[in-house]
Amino acid sequence: MTLQKDVEGNEKKYLHKFADFTNKRVLEIGCGEGRLTRQYAHASSLTVGIDPDQDALRVALIESPHNLKSKVDFARAQAEQLPFSKETFDLAVLAWSF
Amino acid sequence: MVHALSEIRRVLIPDGILIDLRPMLDRWHVEVVSARETNVIGRVNDFEVGLADDTTANHAMAQAELHGWFIREREEFFPFVYSWDTPTEMEEWLAEEWNDFIGWDEDSKRVARSAWAMADGDARVQLRMKMLIARWRKVTGIRHDPFSSPGRNKSDS
Repeated sequence: MTLQKDVEGNEKKYLHKFADFTNKRVLEIGCGEGRLTRQYAHASSLTVGIDPDQDALRVALIESPHNLKSKVDFARAQAEQLPFSKETFDLAVLAWSF
Repeated sequence: MVHALSEIRRVLIPDGILIDLRPMLDRWHVEVVSARETNVIGRVNDFEVGLADDTTANHAMAQAELHGWFIREREEFFPFVYSWDTPTEMEEWLAEEWNDFIGWDEDSKRVARSAWAMADGDARVQLRMKMLIARWRKVTGIRHDPFSSPGRNKSDS
């Protein structure tokens, strides 16, 4: 299978047009295999990606570049019950989630 | 979904930002593309389940705005393109991953196979999706939260 996603690179362009990730604490809901996470996490101070799919999270962890390991974390969770204290994040990304 | 938005609001700082990024069904175009040219050769069909999902998501965001949890600051649509080497690969992928949401009818598949076969050697087949991106800001001084526990009034004590 030779699928390529976002061949025109619009998603990354619009994401950065709509949000400044610089030194932000970011929560991504529905991170899946971390494809979107890898497009902004380098700029953040901390990124947490959550998804109910454990297999997808394993891929996200494996494919996370070495230079992002210290600032990116992945966890199995659902948006309806977030395992975080109130006011933990500056920015949330609801990614392909509904 | 409205409950999820309530949870997201809880974990965001005051004035925190929520980015809503998702595909919107719109009978996406199928294209055959080579270095030399792009041909739009048809569209996929939207199924009720997928359309209902879009409606539900839109409704949830509208409810969040109505409750005074978030205010919408900006919204745009942009194209997101999936690309495969061959129409067969696209057909297999859609059948495996998105068969609940969109359909590709046999006539359109035939047209795509034919257009791809007649095109240049580097031709690929693409699905041009419509994406929504919206930026919402958390509002402090909430008007109404249906998920919060009802507190006791002073008059109760």
